Amino acid sequence: MHYRADVKDLVYRYDGSFAGFLCCVFESFAHKEVPLAIAAPGQAQLSLYPEREIVTVETNARRVFAGIGRLGGAVRYRLAIAFLSGEEEKDMDLLRFIRRAFEIGPNAAAMLGDAAVCRAWELERTVQNEAHLMIEFLRFEQRGNMLGAVIHPKNRVLPLLRAHFCSRLPDESFLICDATHHTAMLRRGDVVQYLPMDQYDPEPDAAEEQWQRMWRRFFQALTIEERRNETCQRTHCPKRFWQDMCEMPLYQKAGRNREKQ
Amino acid sequence: MAELAEKLEILADSAKYDVACTSSGVDRGGRHGSLGSCSAAGICHSFTPDGRCVSLLKVLLSNACCYDCCYCVNRRSNDVPRATFTPRELAELTIGFYRRNYIEGLFLSSAVLGSPDITMERMIEALRILREEYHFRGYIHAKTIPGADALLIHRLGMLADRLSVNIELPSEESLHRLAPDKQKSAVLRPMGQIAAEARQNQRELQLYRTAPKFAPAGQSTQMIIGASPETDRHILTLTEALYKKYSLKRVFYSAYLPVVQDSRLPALTTRPPLLREHRLYQADWLLRFYHFSAGELLSENEPNFDPYLDPKCDWAVRHPEFFPVEVNRAPLNELLRVPGIGPKSARRIVKARKLQTLGMPELKRLGVVLKRAQYFITCNGCLGAHGSRSEIAGALVDPKAFGVGMQQLSLDDFLPTALPDAAPQMHQLTGQGMPAQEAAQLLRQEAVTCITGRM
Repeated sequence: MHYRADVKDLVYRYDGSFAGFLCCVFESFAHKEVPLAIAAPGQAQLSLYPEREIVTVETNARRVFAGIGRLGGAVRYRLAIAFLSGEEEKDMDLLRFIRRAFEIGPNAAAMLGDAAVCRAWELERTVQNEAHLMIEFLRFEQRGNMLGAVIHPKNRVLPLLRAHFCSRLPDESFLICDATHHTAMLRRGDVVQYLPMDQYDPEPDAAEEQWQRMWRRFFQALTIEERRNETCQRTHCPKRFWQDMCEMPLYQKAGRNREKQ
Repeated sequence: MAELAEKLEILADSAKYDVACTSSGVDRGGRHGSLGSCSAAGICHSFTPDGRCVSLLKVLLSNACCYDCCYCVNRRSNDVPRATFTPRELAELTIGFYRRNYIEGLFLSSAVLGSPDITMERMIEALRILREEYHFRGYIHAKTIPGADALLIHRLGMLADRLSVNIELPSEESLHRLAPDKQKSAVLRPMGQIAAEARQNQRELQLYRTAPKFAPAGQSTQMIIGASPETDRHILTLTEALYKKYSLKRVFYSAYLPVVQDSRLPALTTRPPLLREHRLYQADWLLRFYHFSAGELLSENEPNFDPYLDPKCDWAVRHPEFFPVEVNRAPLNELLRVPGIGPKSARRIVKARKLQTLGMPELKRLGVVLKRAQYFITCNGCLGAHGSRSEIAGALVDPKAFGVGMQQLSLDDFLPTALPDAAPQMHQLTGQGMPAQEAAQLLRQEAVTCITGRM
């Protein structure tokens, strides 16, 4: 089905939540218009175009979400994952994707040759890939009777780490601090909470330092000098992850010490 | 604790020449009362400066070997520090690292400590402590010791996820010459036993879902490339036979690194044949995921891989009659033969073309590597791109063979040099004093001319 819409010289401003974004979608369909941009609160918006404040109304958000539900699991899943992206234009890209999906129907998720669908798929893959890299490169530190970790992801990947670590460490309490987005995921007993957190400063005690030293020695012993290939290393494990990995050279310089200042 | 760290260093250093560090092949969720889970795709946890992944705690139980294989660092007559873990130390170390998300599990191998049976018993004890006392559900890869009793192999398989038996060298003569203590039968017997038990276990699992699993992630093996005179064709044919006969999950190749001076071995100054190893892995992937057979890739007349072309492009150059392939209609196995289209993009194409006709922009969005593919496909009857023979050759030639870059080994090392995995000719030319970039340009031109001539 084709939905008529005009491009309007207008910027939507919303509260940054998923429900808020769904209300932007509602607004777009209700006024039969496509804005020039959608701005979340943290985003510096330097434009001369008029802004419209989109108020988050739960009933509207639910209506849109139910509509997306009718487009099938793949579309809904893609939207939910892609929304975690940290890219600035993601809201606009996802709005285009939703409009396209309502036109095409449930097949939209598989129509990867289409520009709007492809863009949403790219966002989804970026988020998923980063979450996977975090699962690989995250390092816990024992702190009291809890495990703690700090990560610096580009996207809001915490919800995607939850299932993996809860399943892997079924009887442990742990806290993962997302230092970029100032959020932490705390798991205690069988309860997982997301908390705002600006700073997490795990001070490793002597035993913990011993473990880290041991791991570092193991890591160094494993390197074969004759095969040295640092480009390959950086391809698989980009340098931006090194600040949180205790065996990497950048760890001491940038990691914990910087946060202490 | 400091003593344990020292042991770990010695035994990791001895184990580092083992190639396999995969944690794939088994899916197992966590469970209350135990620790750990496995994911079928495998998870890497770090990458060392040589670009290899660290997925498992790869150590030897002991490096005090009673054998004297001449290519091995741990052979009896070599003067290196020796150490041996107790099974409990090893288990504690594994758990400590695992909880901190440093590793995905344990890769346990060992030098032959006294006799194969004694060694295997100690390995089994370490795994038993992990599985039964710590209730560890993470990944365990164990290496069987050649010559150990069949019953011990069975017990090891009930505890580990993956087993491996190293065939070490690609032919019996080489094995006889370089590893006089090992026999081919001692390698193939456990391999056959593991394959048979795995099949038996499959049947049991069909009857009882909860039947105990024997090595659920299968078995793998590894061989050294470049220490003995076998051709690539010989190695690839052997690989294919191993996959078919013993249903191996993986065959690993390890470029021979001269670690000891011996008249039976290549000289200490020999470079590890990294590009050859890379080509073999590429061919190995073609066997496992692209439906190629060893006979298609190499022939009697050309028993070795071209250093400048990857095996798939090489096949495409030799079979112009097969192309172009129509992306909107060709079946999956034909798409897989196009240079630049891999299993992922081939599946994406098959999925996406059900809903829309694919042209070049759509293919680009799907993530197909058009640089090579464009010359071999048609979209709705239109050729992807028209190119002269030399243009096509330029797109196909593998840039890895002419790799030039900075390797920060020392401070005065600021001139670009040939990368370790560049073609041997590159090393030859730069060794004669030619600047690396110039050598790369020269060789690339030569290679392009040569490939153009073949088309």
